[in-house]
Amino acid sequence: MSVVAFIVIAFMLTAYVLLDGYDLGVAAVTPLVARTDREREGSMRSIGPFWNGNEVWLIAAGGALFALFPQAYASAFSGFYLPLIVVLWLLMFRGIAIELRSHFPSEIWHQFWDACFFASSVLLILLFGVALGNLLRGVPLGPQGYFSGTFDELLNPYALLVGIFAVVALAMHGAVFLVLRIDGPAVQRVRRLVTRLWPAVVVLYVAVTAATLAERGIGFSWIDVIPVLTLVALGALLFFSINGRERGAFIASSLFLASLLLQAAVTMYPYLIPSLPPRKGGISIFDASPSPVALASALTVVIVGLVVVIIYSVLVARQMAGKIVVED
Amino acid sequence: MDVVIADRLQFAFTIMFHYLFPITTIGLAPFVALYTIQAARGDADAARAAAFWTRIFAINFAVGVVTGIPMEFQFGTNWAAFSAASGSVIGQPLAMEGVYAFFLESVFLGVLLAGKDRVPSWLYSTSAVAVWFGSWLSGFFIVATDAWMQHPVGYTIVGNRIELTSLPAVLLSPFAWWQYLHVVCGAMVAGSFVVAGVGAYYLLSKRETVIAQRFVKVGVIVALIFAVLVVFPTGDKNGDEVTKYQPIKLAAMEGLFNSTKDAPLAIIGMPDTHTDDLIDPIYVPDLLSFLAYGNFRAGVKGLSAYATELWPPVDLTYYAYHVMVGLGTIFMGIATLAALFLWRKRLFDTPLVLWLLMLVMPFPYIASEAGWVTSEVGRQPWIIYGLMRTASGVSPTVASGEAVFTLIGFAGMYFLLGFLFLYLTLREIGHGPV
Ligand code: HDD
Ligand code: HEM
Ligand code: HEM
Repeated sequence: MSVVAFIVIAFMLTAYVLLDGYDLGVAAVTPLVARTDREREGSMRSIGPFWNGNEVWLIAAGGALFALFPQAYASAFSGFYLPLIVVLWLLMFRGIAIELRSHFPSEIWHQFWDACFFASSVLLILLFGVALGNLLRGVPLGPQGYFSGTFDELLNPYALLVGIFAVVALAMHGAVFLVLRIDGPAVQRVRRLVTRLWPAVVVLYVAVTAATLAERGIGFSWIDVIPVLTLVALGALLFFSINGRERGAFIASSLFLASLLLQAAVTMYPYLIPSLPPRKGGISIFDASPSPVALASALTVVIVGLVVVIIYSVLVARQMAGKIVVED
Repeated sequence: MDVVIADRLQFAFTIMFHYLFPITTIGLAPFVALYTIQAARGDADAARAAAFWTRIFAINFAVGVVTGIPMEFQFGTNWAAFSAASGSVIGQPLAMEGVYAFFLESVFLGVLLAGKDRVPSWLYSTSAVAVWFGSWLSGFFIVATDAWMQHPVGYTIVGNRIELTSLPAVLLSPFAWWQYLHVVCGAMVAGSFVVAGVGAYYLLSKRETVIAQRFVKVGVIVALIFAVLVVFPTGDKNGDEVTKYQPIKLAAMEGLFNSTKDAPLAIIGMPDTHTDDLIDPIYVPDLLSFLAYGNFRAGVKGLSAYATELWPPVDLTYYAYHVMVGLGTIFMGIATLAALFLWRKRLFDTPLVLWLLMLVMPFPYIASEAGWVTSEVGRQPWIIYGLMRTASGVSPTVASGEAVFTLIGFAGMYFLLGFLFLYLTLREIGHGPV
């Protein structure tokens, strides 16, 4: 049952990265592709009806982690107290920027919130990437299972590399989404940006993979088919976006990200918080889960709820899809 | 500063700020749904009203979301020992809130805000109802969480962990339901007074008369209903649950130091913990015995029957409770007065009553906050009543300096947020339903 719970958490976080990932990515590419005030407004409106629902995947994943693995929730969140609070502040700031921008017709006001939107989103992606990097690498854990290292240890080169990879990959994901939602001259710029980001993503992917192997030691198993999936998705992404198959490109980009996260989950299993040095234990899904009765009950309510959520989210997203109108 | 104090201050500050916004969401959502449905039937004024309240709702909702995010994670960051011990129970209603309520609210609010020209009109109206439903549901799950901390049920203790044995027992606990209904009624009092008060403002400034009269009329009727419901049965039943399970809290709320038969109810008076008595009290004889046990002769235990280390902070509990109850009485008075004038068809040209309706707007918020202070401060020194002390619930690895730093950060950000919120909302009200 703990394994199912692990899959549920991994699924929710993947959904978060795919969904909020595109609106974070839109923020990251906006300064590169939107030249006028109208265009920047367009890119904010492209995510307008969706970003909050997307962010709920993170909040709900937090709640699910609390219910399914209380020990991990407690030790991770209090152990990484300050970084986590900074993430919360950035999330709050980003929400404020999106909500407040449209309330005044002043260019200065718009520029200020555009800058906040960009900066908070890019920093968030970077921090999420660094966090993932540290989880892959393992973190120093004290006897009680609480974090026992220092902050500069968290900002190690490997984790930073993963962070940068995350920024570039989600920027591409955002750009691919933006093509689906906006019109006008900016679209051409976004298309060109996708083809320019693509090689950078490939290079970083190879670098991160090599670094991961170096960190964790080389070992082969059946999971080594996942990189094949990753590369196929990357290829498809380039193919579809050159040929103007926009939906296909977005799906390929989502698959690409999903395969990376799958790889990460498989690498970490069965640990939720692997300890450093790697493969020396950590907080595993078996240490962290509550009694079987409680776990069964939590899994039931969460899974049933998620099925319902997915059904109505898809229905609503189909109704709301399509290009937004940006009049000048 | 002591780390427990720093953590408590941060929690109290962030939750009290957050709670201001759900009050409006819960209290206004039914009105948004009402006007949206009327608009779908072709009522042009209702369409303007719906658009107007939806804009205000959206500003409020955005701040509610932004301030809600830190709440969800604070149990882990600041209360790790508490979370590790009780996550098996507490985590479930919280996870359900995310999965069942927040998705519903945010997905359909997206439709409500950006979908008017995109989705069919039945879906548009349904979205308004879904947002309403979602906001009431999220209130339920969070109150059920809190109610469990007030009166734990459906658990067993395994080693140093509290393990859930029955989710239905947690979600169906009468303590939770009375508390929830009371909270919703309180929010409805706030929401309906806001609708009536904004209407009164337009009437007094002689604009939008037709729509404003509708606001005042609906607002006053709904306010009267809920001003009664908040006291009876929900407030009363809430008190019964407290009497049953938290007698020390009851004694602190009432400022009752010595156990007595036929206990009087103190309407006013200042509790003094040095002399253990009320200063300058005004009593209604025997009433407390009656309210608590339905019998004028029943014995009620006073604070002195318990060890002082089990006392909650008496002054704060007492004052907060009396502020809430006092305001609750005033709301009933104002709502009844306005309803009488409405009934005699004189409300719209009686400026005095319109002024009252306008000025009463902030007070339901104060009453609700005072209610939570009563409930939460009165629970001390327990974080989980009878099971875990607040002082042992904090995160072992977080230093008090860190908690103070983040508290200051939250204070700064919330100040900015509060300012922008007030400005934007007042501006929206200034624009009116165009
Ligand atoms: C899910 C649980 C939960 C919920 C829904 C609430 N609280 Fe609470 N509250 C706590 C869980 C909690 C807590 C984590 O258990 C605290 C932190 C420190 C403590 O003693 O209990 C607490 C403390 C606490 C304190 C400080 C009391 C003290 O330490 O002296 C105040 C003033 C409030 N809360 C106010 C509120 C308000 C206004 C709420 C309404 C929105 C509210 N609480 C809902
Ligand atoms: C510790 C307690 C609380 C936590 C952890 C919490 C958490 C949250 C979170 C994460 C959100 C944002 C949801 C989104 O993104 O859509 C939110 C919003 C909301 N919360 Fe809370 N909350 C708490 C207290 C309360 C209380 C006491 C109530 C009501 C009784 C409440 C009712 C709501 C409602 C209705 C919303 C919707 C948005 C709004 O208008 O504020 N919350 N809360
Ligand atoms: C005369 C009228 C009222 C009575 C007798 C009453 C009774 C109570 C009692 C006994 C509690 C404490 C429950 C606990 O400790 O768990 C409480 C809490 C609370 N009250 Fe009231 N109340 C009244 C009016 C109001 C009004 C007018 C509002 C808001 C508009 C309000 C909002 C709240 C809230 C938000 C709480 C905290 C939640 C809870 O624990 O129930 N109350 N009330």
